[in-house]
Amino acid sequence: MELISLKEVSVKSKIALLKELGFNSDGEYVLDTDGDKVLDKYIEVPVKVNNMAIFPGTIIILDNNELSLSLYLEEFGDEF
Amino acid sequence: MSSEPIKDLGEGIGKGVIKGALEWGESFIKNLANRFKENEVRFIEDKNTLEIAKEQYNSGELQIYKHYIDDKNKLMILRMGLVLRKLERLGERDRKQKLREDIMKKYEIKGLHIAQFVENGVLNRYIGILLDDISSIEKFKDRINEIINNIEKYVLFVKTGDSERFVLESCLRITTSNLSMIFIVSGMSSAAEIIRKIERRLTELLKDYELERMSKGDNENLFFKRILRK
Repeated sequence: MELISLKEVSVKSKIALLKELGFNSDGEYVLDTDGDKVLDKYIEVPVKVNNMAIFPGTIIILDNNELSLSLYLEEFGDEF
Repeated sequence: MSSEPIKDLGEGIGKGVIKGALEWGESFIKNLANRFKENEVRFIEDKNTLEIAKEQYNSGELQIYKHYIDDKNKLMILRMGLVLRKLERLGERDRKQKLREDIMKKYEIKGLHIAQFVENGVLNRYIGILLDDISSIEKFKDRINEIINNIEKYVLFVKTGDSERFVLESCLRITTSNLSMIFIVSGMSSAAEIIRKIERRLTELLKDYELERMSKGDNENLFFKRILRK
């Protein structure tokens, strides 16, 4: 499975990608279909567009930090 | 994958912030979204974050801890201690601070203290001391779990802003109420400086202990081992 880095991608393109996946953004945070901020599944912080990870498992959007990613690996295994 | 990314010249949402960022076209984004739904791609802001997380997941040190610690949450905290150490080595101060905050959010101050205990190498030194006097694997395992589960009885984590008097009183209180075989005073940056200042007074106060000093960078750890008198 290919892992695509969003580091060099414009905010505008990231938001367009989020919209294509059924999410939204206020320009800073990732929003769900109800307009609520999406919280990181593991540490419950609002996920920012410029620091997100989008993984399968329905669609899981996480804050890009070592703890959340480690907990994800623990739960879903290392398929990267 | 054929792509059509073009350079954003600074117009649009990221204007003035991410000049020269990659701008993806509409059909390219649709294609990516479809590939994601087909489980072919994943997205991440910074691949390095995942690399560091994976590196510790597979580390030998963690495999050793797994032999003696069963609790999955505790193992995750130990793993984060290894990540903190790695970020320190890489000089990634901001990321390290962010991770400390994330650990605190998830596992509270006790979790952060356990992670620090691993980060500064004190857990490994403690295991080394236990190995000198190992009578059974079960007892060895019990003692490792005891210190991790009750870290506040064995380690005083000095904070920036703590007064010398407060630290000295805390050391006395902890050692008097717990009578532990090992007692550690640990601090980073300006807290490490406080520890250095009171080291002599501490050794005078803790007469039943012998001191082993573990200094590393801006980290100071005073390791007190109880003296067994005949």
